Amino acid sequence: MDIASGIQEPFDLIRLSLSERVFVKLRGDRELSGVLHAYDGHMNLILSDVEETIMIVDLPEGQTEGTGAVSMAKRKSEMLFVRGDGVILVAPGGR
Amino acid sequence: MLIFSVFKTLTDQQVTVELKNDLSITGVLKSVDQFLNIRLDNIQVLDAARHPHMMAVKNCFIRGSVVRYVQLPAEHVDTQLLEDATRREAANPSKR
Amino acid sequence: MSEAETTPPPPAAAPAPTVPTGSPTEFLKGVVGKRVIVRLTSGVDYRGILSCLDGYMNIALEQTEEHANGRVTNRYGDAFIRGNNVLYISAAEAL
Repeated sequence: MDIASGIQEPFDLIRLSLSERVFVKLRGDRELSGVLHAYDGHMNLILSDVEETIMIVDLPEGQTEGTGAVSMAKRKSEMLFVRGDGVILVAPGGR
Repeated sequence: MLIFSVFKTLTDQQVTVELKNDLSITGVLKSVDQFLNIRLDNIQVLDAARHPHMMAVKNCFIRGSVVRYVQLPAEHVDTQLLEDATRREAANPSKR
Repeated sequence: MSEAETTPPPPAAAPAPTVPTGSPTEFLKGVVGKRVIVRLTSGVDYRGILSCLDGYMNIALEQTEEHANGRVTNRYGDAFIRGNNVLYISAAEAL
């Protein structure tokens, strides 16, 4: 129990982020920043004003992990439903 | 349940469903169920040249579990209503 | 005979809940509010203070550092981690 922030269960953290910008880390090297409007127990999300960043690692043959060049693709979306099973992490305050 | 309701209010609107295999399908949302399975009519596949097998397909059923995102028509989403409904559902965990 | 009736019941397993007994549940109760390392199945580590967790192992962390291939790759004031991604939770300080 966190008395200072009033968080008793993990979902409280998400509830306190409603109408705030959040950072979401997804499976498949994707990240989102958007304003949170809805969520449910599966961590299905509805976000607006979303910027998605997709990390694409170009690993040339024979190169070890972490040495390949990382390129990033960005996309914007006005209103987005995100299926919860792809969510890894949600952090208040986007970036 | 909440998200299911949101999708129900968006029936007959145009949405873009992005699948986990990177296929993006735009179409008119005809119906949705509690698993968030989706039926789309009048579909168009993004980058159709890369997905020639989809060319003749006019409507489809999408299993909810293969969906990554759905792009929604922002003008038909009342964000204040969504936030209130989300808080109400969070206060009543039985509905999760 | 009468002795059995008047003898107070033996104290419960642990007088203070902070003393871990060895069961997973006791461990998790014991690490709330402590520094922990959460490892995800992807191999990424999150180090921070465990605010709380629920039955799905959804986790709320404070002062979180994300560690990937030996480097700090992100910092979050608060972070919600979806439980299905969790491989383990490790205590990073004495209980």
